[in-house]
Amino acid sequence: MNNEARAVTIVMVEDDEGHARLIEKNIRRAGVNNEIIPFTNGTDALNYMFGPDGSGEVSAGRHLLILLDLNLPDMTGIDILERVKANQHTKPAPVVVLTTTDDAREIQRCYELGANVYITKPVNYEGFANAIRQLGLFFSVMQVPQTL
Amino acid sequence: MPITSRSFVRWNSFLFAIGLLALVVLIGATFWLIARTSDYADAALTARQVRADIADLKSLVQDAESSQRGFLLTANDSYLGPFELARQEIPSKLDSLRVYVTQEPALAEGMAALSTRINAKLDELSNTVALARAGRTQEALAIVDGGAGQKLMDEARDLFDTLIDGADRRFASSIAAQQDSANALNWVALAATGVILVVVGSAAWIVLNYTRDLASARVEIETLNTGLEEKVRERTVELGRANDEIQRFAYIVTHDLRAPLVNIMGFTSELETSIAPIKELVTGLEEEGREIGEAKLIVAEDLPEAIGFIRSSTRKMDGLINAILKLSREGRRPLKPERLELQPLLGSCVDVIQHQVNDAGGEVTLDIRVSHIVSDRMALEQIVGNMLDNAVKYSVQDRPLRIMVRALPTLVNFVTIEIEDNGRGIAEQDHERVFDLFRRSGTQDKAGEGIGLAHVRSSVRNLGGDITLESRLGEGTTFKINLPRDLRTVTRSNAA
Repeated sequence: MNNEARAVTIVMVEDDEGHARLIEKNIRRAGVNNEIIPFTNGTDALNYMFGPDGSGEVSAGRHLLILLDLNLPDMTGIDILERVKANQHTKPAPVVVLTTTDDAREIQRCYELGANVYITKPVNYEGFANAIRQLGLFFSVMQVPQTL
Repeated sequence: MPITSRSFVRWNSFLFAIGLLALVVLIGATFWLIARTSDYADAALTARQVRADIADLKSLVQDAESSQRGFLLTANDSYLGPFELARQEIPSKLDSLRVYVTQEPALAEGMAALSTRINAKLDELSNTVALARAGRTQEALAIVDGGAGQKLMDEARDLFDTLIDGADRRFASSIAAQQDSANALNWVALAATGVILVVVGSAAWIVLNYTRDLASARVEIETLNTGLEEKVRERTVELGRANDEIQRFAYIVTHDLRAPLVNIMGFTSELETSIAPIKELVTGLEEEGREIGEAKLIVAEDLPEAIGFIRSSTRKMDGLINAILKLSREGRRPLKPERLELQPLLGSCVDVIQHQVNDAGGEVTLDIRVSHIVSDRMALEQIVGNMLDNAVKYSVQDRPLRIMVRALPTLVNFVTIEIEDNGRGIAEQDHERVFDLFRRSGTQDKAGEGIGLAHVRSSVRNLGGDITLESRLGEGTTFKINLPRDLRTVTRSNAA
């Protein structure tokens, strides 16, 4: 894995700690060793990405990949997706939506808002682990652009 | 106070009766009074006739006397003309007067007395005339001079006067009575007119009031009606909202249930993978001859068994959650009403199972008597497909499967699609239960989660219809799907 790929930071917004743990485990199993910063609610995640002033300048120069759950206690993942894609500093960051919802309209809406990948969390674990591992492989080959 | 229709009828009948009674009384009284008036007029006429006759009689008698005197004085026969005339006419006059007088008892006595005097006078006159003619004029004059005739004549004159007076009184009283009758007739007419006017006025007042009440009642009903429609609309909106809420609830619940399930499954898997190294370790220790007690059994059997149960349970739970999700999603899917030709639509549904049925030696018959309906194609295909699948699934081994699909017009705007099979049937107590989610009937020897019929019923209701079944255990089942001919009429009234 080259240095550029290593520099990518994975921001994981997932309120279910079990899910977060399983996701992390499976990403690691896929050989992805990037830093993962977990957030269990939307507010903290937004603070991290947009800074205390909300301008998003803190993210300038970061290589971010965002793993986003749609069901959050304080807001919906769609709100976060909207803000990320509306801000010029965070806009280039790939967003992977990872949720239990497989409602076609919701998936459609996520893609419309600029989500790069949409993954439904399968209940059957093999499927789930497989999906995450593939995601990890995907990460490892993906060139994440530096955010502006 | 509002007039009820009963009291209206009662009052109007009452007034009508009074009016009728007044009219009858008026007519009766009028006829009676007219009859009376005419009686009085007759009586007056009679009285005048009697008076004239009496006066005639009087002059006849006087003429007879004058004629006798003239004859006695002159012995000239020409004087006897009036006497002879009187002698002829007097008896008939007397007779007719006597007839009149029978109706007037008051005059009867006077009449009788007069009759006697006149007869006596006539006798005297005849007697003297006869004597004079025989040349015995002196004797005749002596009789006249005797004064008997004079006396008779005086008496007769008095009687004449009395009778004439009586007749005059009688005439006057008749005229007066006639006047009274006429007055009475006036009064009766006036009174009856008054009564009729009052009755008609009251009736008109009641009718007017009633009509006004009716009009205001109608306005009230119209207002209520509008209110009712408004209320129905509100309730429908509320129901729709409640329905949406239930579906949203089902949707949220299923998703929220899924999240922990992902964890259970995930960490169970983690546990499973961690068994392998532990098992290796235990085996290694055992080979080294170390005492490991129950650890081997736990690693080899207990843990895998526990994990197996956790897995199968979570899988089942996932199935159930998915079923609920499917139902809720189906309810949220917007319906697309379109014109559907039933023959090809049902035919294509049958085609799907035809092969399977033919292989088992069975047959499917179609009897379509409705050309088309307006409904949602996907929902209808799913419903019919599900029913046919069930018919195949729950067929009986020892007889060839017979499936009958019928489409019949029912009611005015409804169509019934019947799917009849000769399968295992459904026990009476389960007829309602089979439509419940996760509930199944009979021997549980076929795979299934108890979702199909629940889903079918929910879909049918979504299409504005309903589904019922008739079944005898061991003989077969007929499902009757009642659908509106035009889905748009139903959704329109739902949306309103």
